[in-house]
Amino acid sequence: MLAEPRALNDQAIAGPSSSAPVAIDPVLRSRLETCFHCAEPVPSGSEWRLELDGEQRAFCCAGCLGVAQTIRAAGLGEFYAKRTAHAALPAREPDEWSRYDVVADDLALVVRHGDRREISLLLEGIRCGACIWLAETYVRRVPGVIDFAVNFATRRARLVWRAPDTALSSVLRAIASIGYRAYPYDPTRREALARREGRSLLTRTAVALLAMMQVMMFSIPVYVSRDGVDPGDQRLLDWASLMLCLPAVLYCAAPFFSGAATDLKLRRLGMDVPVALGIAAAFAASAWSTVAGSGPVYFDSVTMFIALLLVARYIEFRARERAGAAIESIARDRPQTAERLTRHPATRETECVPASRLAPGDLVQVSAGATVPADGEVIEGRSSVEEALLNGESWPRAKAPGSSVLAGSVNRESPLTVRVTAAGESTAAAALSRLVARAAEARPRVARLADRAAAGFVAALLAIAAGTALAWAWLDPSRVLAVTFAVLVVSCPCALSLATPAALAAAAGSLGRRGILAVRADALETLSRATHLVIDKTGTLTAGSVRLASIETTGRLDREQALAIAVALEQGSTHPIATAVRSAAAEAALASELIAVPGQGVEGVIRGRRYRLGRPAWVGGLGDSPPPSEPGNAGEIRIALGDSSGRLAWMSFGDSLREGALELVGAARALGLAVSLVSGDRRESVEHMARLAGITQHASDATPEAKRAFVAELQREGHVVAMIGDGINDAPSLAQADVSLALANASALTQWTADIVAATDDLRDVGVALSGARRVFRVIRQNLAWALAYNLIAIPLAATGHLHPLAAALGMSASSILVVANAWRLSRIAPFDARQTSNEPRGTATEALPEWKSSTS
Amino acid sequence: MEILYLLIPLSVALAFLIGAAFWWSVASGQFDDLEGPAHRILLDDDGWTDSGTAATTKKDD
Repeated sequence: MLAEPRALNDQAIAGPSSSAPVAIDPVLRSRLETCFHCAEPVPSGSEWRLELDGEQRAFCCAGCLGVAQTIRAAGLGEFYAKRTAHAALPAREPDEWSRYDVVADDLALVVRHGDRREISLLLEGIRCGACIWLAETYVRRVPGVIDFAVNFATRRARLVWRAPDTALSSVLRAIASIGYRAYPYDPTRREALARREGRSLLTRTAVALLAMMQVMMFSIPVYVSRDGVDPGDQRLLDWASLMLCLPAVLYCAAPFFSGAATDLKLRRLGMDVPVALGIAAAFAASAWSTVAGSGPVYFDSVTMFIALLLVARYIEFRARERAGAAIESIARDRPQTAERLTRHPATRETECVPASRLAPGDLVQVSAGATVPADGEVIEGRSSVEEALLNGESWPRAKAPGSSVLAGSVNRESPLTVRVTAAGESTAAAALSRLVARAAEARPRVARLADRAAAGFVAALLAIAAGTALAWAWLDPSRVLAVTFAVLVVSCPCALSLATPAALAAAAGSLGRRGILAVRADALETLSRATHLVIDKTGTLTAGSVRLASIETTGRLDREQALAIAVALEQGSTHPIATAVRSAAAEAALASELIAVPGQGVEGVIRGRRYRLGRPAWVGGLGDSPPPSEPGNAGEIRIALGDSSGRLAWMSFGDSLREGALELVGAARALGLAVSLVSGDRRESVEHMARLAGITQHASDATPEAKRAFVAELQREGHVVAMIGDGINDAPSLAQADVSLALANASALTQWTADIVAATDDLRDVGVALSGARRVFRVIRQNLAWALAYNLIAIPLAATGHLHPLAAALGMSASSILVVANAWRLSRIAPFDARQTSNEPRGTATEALPEWKSSTS
Repeated sequence: MEILYLLIPLSVALAFLIGAAFWWSVASGQFDDLEGPAHRILLDDDGWTDSGTAATTKKDD
């Protein structure tokens, strides 16, 4: 196979262009049927069919068919009638579940009670209620399983099983066989904490609402009666209100008091300070009036104030929780295991050990398709290794005895024997992740700046209240209390403190439903101010995988025939080019005598004729024909197909634009953002992709440090930079950018660093995030303007004694409700606006690179 | 309106009772999953299957 595609590509570029590339016939791609299981298109001529419920159903792949067969065999075919959404495409991952058994002893996640084992699982692929039914019913029937319960809201499950009867891996495999994936996770880490917080917040909110309603009931008779209530009844109502207000203040409002106490201890003024002061002052005065039997009471305003604030906090908490849960499910860590060679030169016997137990000097076997468990040196075998995690480069690198490999890279072709030089925490990948984690930790401090702006308002407010009290003490001491409270209540920065969180919570909820999760609250704010969008090329703007771009034949074969031969030759290879070829066609001829020559290509016999597919010079060697001249396009890799009589076809492979890339660039332009492309790749391919995406500004051959400098340079020019990246090599520039985004396929580390994580593969959703953020801040500005205008009018009125405390409380409540209602508009974020991109040219890109919707995606 | 002296304390007591009941329901985990039960109640093991076997048939292994 092609171990050094780089060299091949350079050669391709050097060659003269002889003929224009011919795009693949669109008929090849026409797919009418959709998969009964997952609704993906069914490839034409597919034979994946199954009779279900008396009807022939078509499936897109063997995976979906297998899942449907399992479901039918278990007698749960009802699932298809019950479901309200199509199922997720089952993953085609290697069966690696047994490694969970190996590391089960190391997993602190398993709770043991004698024979019983209990574990929390994270479920992927749950789409609708029927999924819960299917998963629960099916898993409960696995022998040895005692209980299996799914939480639909959090996509978590609790599994209880009997250890001697069944292995954890067999349960995980059973879950995989019906199309879901389950990963053990540690619920104590964050979840237990969040659950306790959520429960206490919910109770506080409910109690506050209850108190608010009941106190209102007691206040209304006083408000509506024309000639005042009987003094006796009045006292009774006051005492009853006090009893109800007490838990509201002491229990429900406790978070505000503790928040204010923390603020004061740290010598800063947060929003909690005036809130706590307002609640305490109004409650103290009302309680005093009640006990003394005369004076104004504000129990209704106090309880309403507490309830409204708590409702806003609860909504915000729910949105944050959902985002956190989704991110945790992305960043799950799989247990790493290694095949250690026990008595190397004598036998090739291996034992499976957790990767963390490896020590320098150990010999490990890395089979094809496996992840390298530790840093080391190759001592046997030749293969190509993909280091995408470390350098963001999707092309594999050739490895031979003597070359070094890094933990976290993936072995693509044939087994390697590696001598470990560094394992566990001392690997390069672990060091890198610590570096990124430290950079990420330093960031939230910057976010505190937003709080400081609020402090100014709070300080001014307290000054006004104090000034009012002083002035009235001099003017009319009998009215000091009433007027000062009116000022505190009316200006209680309710609207102000609700303006931002309510809008952010509503937006986080609606964006979250589209899979866009703002990890940091101020990320949306920064995104709305962004003036420059920097996009990483490989894996972000592009799909990051190699796809077949075009086939040119010499005329002796048609394209379909050439493709069928190529697919036959590439059967069984894990090389990216082989994957690309296979995903381009459903049909294959039958090949025998298959030989893979590392670094050159594959050779095989089909219907008695010997073919070669690979490097042009090597392919030409089969028929002793002179090396053919080759046409070339920048950013593409070309291989030849030939037989003994010469060359038959050219195949060009390239990375193609990711779905929605053009729309994103268009949307960013429409919102007034400049767009640039950075990449560590060569100039030709960066230029090629930039041209396809319609991006004019680009930087190539950029090291991670150069990318960071590029972002810093833009910031020096005064730009607010938003950056989208995927690999660890993007991490420094993502940290440098004012706001960073990562897509679903980004490395876990990058997602932890990013401010916003889009749990989708579609760049259009990033466009939605951009326009959504703009809308959020339009609403926040409206809210703040309203709160400010209201305060400017109400505070002078209250300070001069023209506002009765009741009117102040009503005004405060009305303005809060207005603010929340305005924010609520954001919970419906419009679908992606096609008009924003209608003026963008699309033609060039789609013509040059047909978008292959590969069935493996 | 002497009855108020009974009814109002009663309403306060009732409010406390509701609060306590709510606290108990939250603490016992009834609010942890607000979506699942809505689906689960509709999806009982009650039906037919396409293969003609009852939904409660044991799996082969």
